[in-house]
Amino acid sequence: MSSRRPVVTGLGILTAAGCGVSAMWDALRAGRSGLGPLTLFASPRYGRHQVGQVREDVDQLAGDVRGSRSDKLAWIAAREAIQQSGLAMPLNGHGADRAGVLLGSTVAGMLGTEEVVGRMLRENPQSAIRNPQLFGTEEVPGDLLRRQPRRFTPLRYHECASATDLCARQLGARGPTATFSTACSAGALAIATAAGLIEDDELDVALAGGADSLSRLTLNGFGALLLLDPDGCRPFDAARAGISLGEGAAMLVIEAEETARARGARILARLTGWGASCDASHPTAPDPQGGGATAAMQQALERGGLSPSDIGFVLAHGTGTPDNDVMEARALRRVFDGAVPPFASVKRFFGHTLAASGAIQAVAAVQALREQAAPANLGFENSDPEIGLRPAREFQSRPLQQVLSNSFGFGGNNVALVFGREDPLPASAACGVPGRSQEVPLHGSDGIYRTYRTYRTYGTYGAAAARRRSPGIPLAVIGAGLVSAGGHTMAGVRSALAAGGVAPSWLESAAPFPLGRLRGYSCGDFGADEAIPAARRRRLGRLQQMALVAAKRSLPQGLPAALSPERVCAAIGTGLGCLGETAAFVENMLMNGERAPLAGRFANSVHNACASQLAIEFNLRGLNSTSTHREISFEAALWHCAGELRQGRADLALAGAADELSPYMQAAGERWGWWDGNAPAIRPFGRELTGRRRPLPGEGAAVFALARGDQASAPLARLQSVHFGRFAARPGGQPEAQQEAAWLRESLERDGVPLASVDLLLAGASGWPPWDDAYREVASALSVLRSEEVRLGAYKQVCGEHYSASAFGFFVALGLVGGQIEPALCLAGIPSPAAGARSPRTVLLYTLSPGGSHALCCVCA
Amino acid sequence: MQSLNDELKGKIIKALNLDKITPAGIKDDEPLFGAGLGLDSLDALDLVSMLERDYGILIQDMEVARQAFATYRTLEEFVQRNRV
Repeated sequence: MSSRRPVVTGLGILTAAGCGVSAMWDALRAGRSGLGPLTLFASPRYGRHQVGQVREDVDQLAGDVRGSRSDKLAWIAAREAIQQSGLAMPLNGHGADRAGVLLGSTVAGMLGTEEVVGRMLRENPQSAIRNPQLFGTEEVPGDLLRRQPRRFTPLRYHECASATDLCARQLGARGPTATFSTACSAGALAIATAAGLIEDDELDVALAGGADSLSRLTLNGFGALLLLDPDGCRPFDAARAGISLGEGAAMLVIEAEETARARGARILARLTGWGASCDASHPTAPDPQGGGATAAMQQALERGGLSPSDIGFVLAHGTGTPDNDVMEARALRRVFDGAVPPFASVKRFFGHTLAASGAIQAVAAVQALREQAAPANLGFENSDPEIGLRPAREFQSRPLQQVLSNSFGFGGNNVALVFGREDPLPASAACGVPGRSQEVPLHGSDGIYRTYRTYRTYGTYGAAAARRRSPGIPLAVIGAGLVSAGGHTMAGVRSALAAGGVAPSWLESAAPFPLGRLRGYSCGDFGADEAIPAARRRRLGRLQQMALVAAKRSLPQGLPAALSPERVCAAIGTGLGCLGETAAFVENMLMNGERAPLAGRFANSVHNACASQLAIEFNLRGLNSTSTHREISFEAALWHCAGELRQGRADLALAGAADELSPYMQAAGERWGWWDGNAPAIRPFGRELTGRRRPLPGEGAAVFALARGDQASAPLARLQSVHFGRFAARPGGQPEAQQEAAWLRESLERDGVPLASVDLLLAGASGWPPWDDAYREVASALSVLRSEEVRLGAYKQVCGEHYSASAFGFFVALGLVGGQIEPALCLAGIPSPAAGARSPRTVLLYTLSPGGSHALCCVCA
Repeated sequence: MQSLNDELKGKIIKALNLDKITPAGIKDDEPLFGAGLGLDSLDALDLVSMLERDYGILIQDMEVARQAFATYRTLEEFVQRNRV
């Protein structure tokens, strides 16, 4: 029996139906909808719609933490979950290294960003639309925002990773921490990922869930898709006409059973199974046949060793859109072979809370198991013959052993979770003392649990867990595709490195931005015209095109025909997502007073628009993940793919990252004094940046095809190790060098890579002195650890500073171990006594994020 | 009449980013969706948006759009009838 089975020990929730688990349960029990009028912001077009707005004073509840509304929602839910779990906060000692935060987020700080952009546009209405020349002269630089830089503050919390980092800081977690943004399934994916990390022995305890606030972008976006029901959603009803948008957050504390028991925690439920799939059919609409949804549910059952008849209740995705509900009913009938268990959508209680919805359902599922009761499908009146199923009409007591929860997102990103009942424990065991071991009976005394069918599943589960990460199977990189400022081929990158880097270019700017003052590392024309047929390209945003071109370059012959689409997964990292499309939508929305919203732009604005386009292009139906965790987005994506390959759920994986330059990002950086027309080019370790100055921004995409090492012939390189987490920061935000060196050594050795074999440390240094110094100190500490100088290299002089730069670094690492790039080229300008000509066989790609994260990838010849 | 034809076709091309297609390439009586131009449901929504922005026509029911967008000719007639 595997003791790494994930169990739930804490729940926290904040929704339109109230703050806290008991408020949520009261609403479900009473059948009380949380939908009501929109008062959070004015919306000329949708202001009369019913929404699931959180009515509590979020700022007050959050206390003194700073962040966006989404960040605060996440933190309020996280705090409740941590308190219930009995974990010490902040964590200390070894526990912190084994604790992580996994969060689903898609709206993130957009509500605040809209306010900043709105001010920019309002303050210059004429020029913004009709007269861009007004901004072209030197007389205008001191515009209002420069004089009032604090008005840009919301942009600091724009990113999806903001809430994750906030929760991780508060909890003191230092284990694997990442953010996922697969639209409406993001919260469920974060929970599934936490379970995977625990099973894989990377974590003992995870805070996992999702959070999203309401925003004008999502309200107008769903409006543009004609998917809003003004009077409130009616899931599965014959007259259903769309969703009600909501906001909220839900968090779970998920632990390995062994550690939960050892600390005497009260186990609320088990996370029995989870599954993820992709429709690979349409950017926003579900596959009408429900193939992807079926696959996700079946995977979750299989993983839990369950048969369909074990499921006592289904919390359906049930958004209330005509398409989703028909599709989901079809998928349910297929999975359950006609015998569909009682089911309900809870969307009319909370609204559709996007990234939070999967986590909210997870909390409801756990609570249903504990209370042995399940909610009604509020909003349902009349059956739809096309659906042919009737959801639960009443809140009622039900004997529940396993509850299934579905989440389906834009891009056909589907996730299903199964939660199982845990026996009520004796009261004496119910309140464990953190950090002290306690004897806890493995089973309750009522006998039901032991005679229940899932008992046999322990054997199956154990067998599945025995397949977990084995260092014996390295992964093979079998293809690499690139779009970068320094060229799109290995030869191009080599000559850019040989030239000492790339000169940043002046970027085209448009109103409301000053012309001719934006400079960065742009990919320019990256060959989209040749690579993507015009009929397809016209619907894609620039970032999607970059990712798609990189993916096509990684698979010049396309996918091998023999592969089953279900066994190919994709994971793309993106720190900021499709900024161009998002900005176009928001600008149009604000300038036109919400008239004529742009549906296509909204569809392209979601962070997972790149990964889902890859799925559509190559017909990839396995896990489809998008990670959005600043500088380590790529590594989190790579980890997802590595896990699917190692555990035998995929035969091929596409892992990559993509980020694009945006005038908005540049404008913000300018206002903070980071960049200006005179900013120097990036020279790692060059010490040219002083004061508030930051390295110039860049953009790029890189995608890699991976397979299991034992299934690939003639690979480009082997991927021996990939890890990410949070570092112990010293004052100033940089990591403690000795601890970093120890983390790197320990991580490598767990994967069978001796530290002595590392020939080159390829660092994310970008010429920003405090962080360059941090890299150098870590290299020195590593040198001490292994009693031999570690050579230090860098790559951002070619690709610029951006969140997907480490994917470019990975491309360089492949060139280094493949012999196409001489190590001296990466060492240019870096004083390093051991900068010899020896061609490296093992390259350690090491990335630090000022957000507090670190990551490593180890690539071998 | 001819001028609306050119104007509307130009707006369709711009709204849907059909940069490889000329106004003459949109045949009056061929279906707009499905084969032909290769348009999909998101294009339909972007046409809805264009009609609102440029002709003040607000469509909130896709069934109305489905009928109006059957062919270019039905779309033109729809605009004639409903523009403000």
